[in-house]
Order: sequence, then C-alpha cells, then structure tokens
Amino acid sequence: MESTSPTELADLVRRAQKGDESAQRDLVVAYQHRVAGFVYAMTGRSDYVEDLAQQVFIKMIRALDRLQAPAQFESWLFRLARNTCIDQLRRQKLRRIFLPFGEEHENIPEPPGAVDSEELDALRHALAQLRPQDRALLALVQEGRSHAEIAEILETSVAAVKARLHRAREHLREHYQPQHET
Amino acid sequence: MKPEEHAWRKLEAHASSQLRGGFADRVVRTARGPHEDTWRELLGAGARQLRPGFAGRVIRAARAAAEMPSLGSQFALSAATAAVCLGAALFLHHHRAEAADEHNLAVWQEIVAVAHDDDAGIGL
Repeated sequence: MESTSPTELADLVRRAQKGDESAQRDLVVAYQHRVAGFVYAMTGRSDYVEDLAQQVFIKMIRALDRLQAPAQFESWLFRLARNTCIDQLRRQKLRRIFLPFGEEHENIPEPPGAVDSEELDALRHALAQLRPQDRALLALVQEGRSHAEIAEILETSVAAVKARLHRAREHLREHYQPQHET
Repeated sequence: MKPEEHAWRKLEAHASSQLRGGFADRVVRTARGPHEDTWRELLGAGARQLRPGFAGRVIRAARAAAEMPSLGSQFALSAATAAVCLGAALFLHHHRAEAADEHNLAVWQEIVAVAHDDDAGIGL
C-alpha cells in the first residue's frame, strides 16, 4: 500500500470498522499480496497460501472493530497473519503426532513450477530449518516492519527483537546453501 | 625448488581442482545469506498463489461467517431452552401434586364424614 498515505489508510480502516464493505474490500486488495508473501515465507507451502490468507482477512474483518488505533493497522494485521500461520503449523505438528503418517508425507514437495530458482529454493529450504517464530521475525523484517513495530507485534522489547533477529539471521546463513543437494 | 615445496604445490593444485566453478561467488553468497532479490522473489511467489477474485471470496466468506450464530449465542439459546423446560416440568409437577392433594383431602373428608355418620348411627 505504498501509494496510500497514513491518513488515507487510517480513514479507510475507520470506514471498514463501521462495516463499510467497499472499504473492507479495499483493505483486502491493498494487503492481499503482502499477506500472501508473508504466509508463503512462514509455511513454505504454496498450497496453503490462499487458504491461510483468507483466514487472516476473515479474522481481520471480524475483529476490526476491536482495533483501537487505526494507525497501527499494519502491525495489527501482520500479528494476525503471524498467529494464524503459527496456529496452522502447530496443528500440522499435532496431526503428525496423532496420525500414522509415513515418512513420505513429512515433506510434501512443491508442485512443479512452484519453485522458480535455485536461490529461492535454497531460501525456502533454509527457512524450513528455522523455528516458526524466527521465520516470522525474518519475514516481518522483509515486510519492512521496524524493530519497534516487530517488538509490538511479538509483544516483546526492541532489545529482545534485535537479539533474536541476530540469531535468526545466523541460523538462516548456516542453512542457506544455494547449491545444496536435495 | 625444494622437494617439499614441490609437494605442497601439487597438493594445492589437487585441492583446488576439487572446487567447482564459481566457488568464490558461492562462498560470498552463502556468507552473506539470501540476497534481497531472493526474498522479494519468495514474497512474490507467495503473492502469485492467490487466485483472481480473492478479495470478493474473502468478503463473501466473512459475511457467511458473520451470519452463522456464534458459539456463545448457541450456548445461550440452549441454556434458555433448558430453563424453560425445567420451569414447565416444575409447574406441571406442582400443579399435579396440588390436584392430587386436593383429591386425597376430599376423599379423606368423605371418609371422615362417613365415620361420623356411622358413629352417630351406633349412638356413641
């Protein structure tokens, strides 16, 4: 939403809060690609993107009236996205515990054409090795969130964000092998 | 050249022949971590997964979800129904017990009257 000023965004959020369906639609259109990218970075699964992004926006519409400060809409939206993805990953983990899945179901490969380049594949592979919380941290940085905003999203201090970010980047570098053999 | 120097050179040559082309680039790339472009590519790949008409589908799904009764309202309705049923059962029970008491009392009064009449007839 680069072309919209903070004032315009706050106004759009206020109208959406009052139940204006066209304002809600505008918000979805404005953020759908960023939320989808964030979901993909978090899950590494292209077949989850549409479903999880839809869940995020439905939660957004239903909870919008509880958002006190429209200026903090973006941080709030990405907190919803992060929590939705982490819930999904937890559910997935639980399913693996309770269902007798074979080893071949552990890592379902991406459908052909989903992985565009060696670097992208390496990044997906490296992200998959990290904890979901660290993936969220790195994806939020790429989303352009400041340390203060990330601290607010994660409900922690800026110093903790910096420390965790440093560790997450280290781990990502350790696992990032653009020409790894799979 | 000393024999050991010659051996070192051969060792180095052998070792370097094991490295695939573009080794330096790969090392630098790995050390730096993923490039900004790769991140952009990843986020873009995620964004491309949305089918056209996504916003419309979200709005329709949100509307359908809003029309569905919430868990709280379903619980409240169940609790109200249970309270009404309990009230009706208590009322019926009370009503029947009262009717039975009245009937029993009338029967006893009849028996007492008959007993009095009998006593009077005997001349007690």
